Amino acid sequence: MSHDSANASPDLIEQQLVAYLDGELDAEGSHRVEELLAADPTVRQRLQRLERTWEMLDQLERSAVDEKFTRSTLEMLTVAAEEEVDQLQSEMPRRRRRWLIASGSLLAAGLAGFLVVALALPDPNRQLLEDLPVLENLDQYRHVDDIEFLRELNRENLFVEEPADAP
Amino acid sequence: MVSESSARRYALRDPDVRLMLQVRDGSAVAFEELMQRYQGRLVTVLQHLVGSRDQAEDLAQEVFLRVYRARARYVPGAKFSTWLFTIANNAASNALRTLSRRREVSLRVRESGPMGASPMDAVIQASSGQIPARQLDKAEARDIVRMALAELNDRQRMAVLLNKFEGMSYADIAQTMELTPQAIKSLLSRARGNLREVLEPYFQHGDRPAKKNNLH
Repeated sequence: MSHDSANASPDLIEQQLVAYLDGELDAEGSHRVEELLAADPTVRQRLQRLERTWEMLDQLERSAVDEKFTRSTLEMLTVAAEEEVDQLQSEMPRRRRRWLIASGSLLAAGLAGFLVVALALPDPNRQLLEDLPVLENLDQYRHVDDIEFLRELNRENLFVEEPADAP
Repeated sequence: MVSESSARRYALRDPDVRLMLQVRDGSAVAFEELMQRYQGRLVTVLQHLVGSRDQAEDLAQEVFLRVYRARARYVPGAKFSTWLFTIANNAASNALRTLSRRREVSLRVRESGPMGASPMDAVIQASSGQIPARQLDKAEARDIVRMALAELNDRQRMAVLLNKFEGMSYADIAQTMELTPQAIKSLLSRARGNLREVLEPYFQHGDRPAKKNNLH
């Protein structure tokens, strides 16, 4: 096996080294590469250089997009949705057209409206989820006048629930 | 043609496939979610592929438009990311062909000038004899890596970007680029070998790298 590997062309060795670094070799292939690495220091050096080059690509920045990009994309999609409705309108027979325009318009309007609102306004459901712990204990909290009193009770571990009695 | 069992399997394993199926069924929320998850990733890959942030954003929007238009006939035949980047690869290929034609024209004009045809040549010429071997700072290192990447051909560069930024397997890259896994193995090997040769002087001595001819 080592003999075969040693006689392989440089290109083939390079292919195997890159695939090895990427975890793309099966067990047998990995084993062959490891034998070669153990036997040949020049191959080890090639592997190290390939690794270092790959790590250098970490210098490349990852892009973040801003709200402007998202909005302009949604605007573009809204136009596409409206064009779809127009196309449907021109293609369908008159009787079905009214229904289709209504539902198609609804879809386009829903897409545009929902997407714009979802981005522009805070999600009320999200807010409710955040407030849920308070809402669940609202009846008890109504009897408390200030937050410092609650904190004091919490420090005394008075909010820890007692386990239910065993059946 | 994707079998029903395959489609079901992808839907089970990939939450983004499930989101896309909701888009198919009319969910605007699901589409928004997919956009939020992928817009940065798309622009990242496209920016390093085409070399321009503005163009990358235009292409990313084109990709989302194509996804939207294809929603009614969506059947999961791959991971969602693979499908999405296949669309991105196709959109980018068209753009790169146009860019390449423009570049040929401008290269013919620049080659007659003093700074040579390639940005890398310009950097080397500007620095030769002026800047001794030294450690390059982070911004310079980034520029050099960008230039080394730009020296690859379009297919090598795309394969490298999908491998590096998306962590795609050879099988997924093959599906994205419509090549075989063996072709991807060979492509990535050549690409990374080319990168190594170009960048080697930098990590050996901290020198600006020399450009190798005929990297393609």
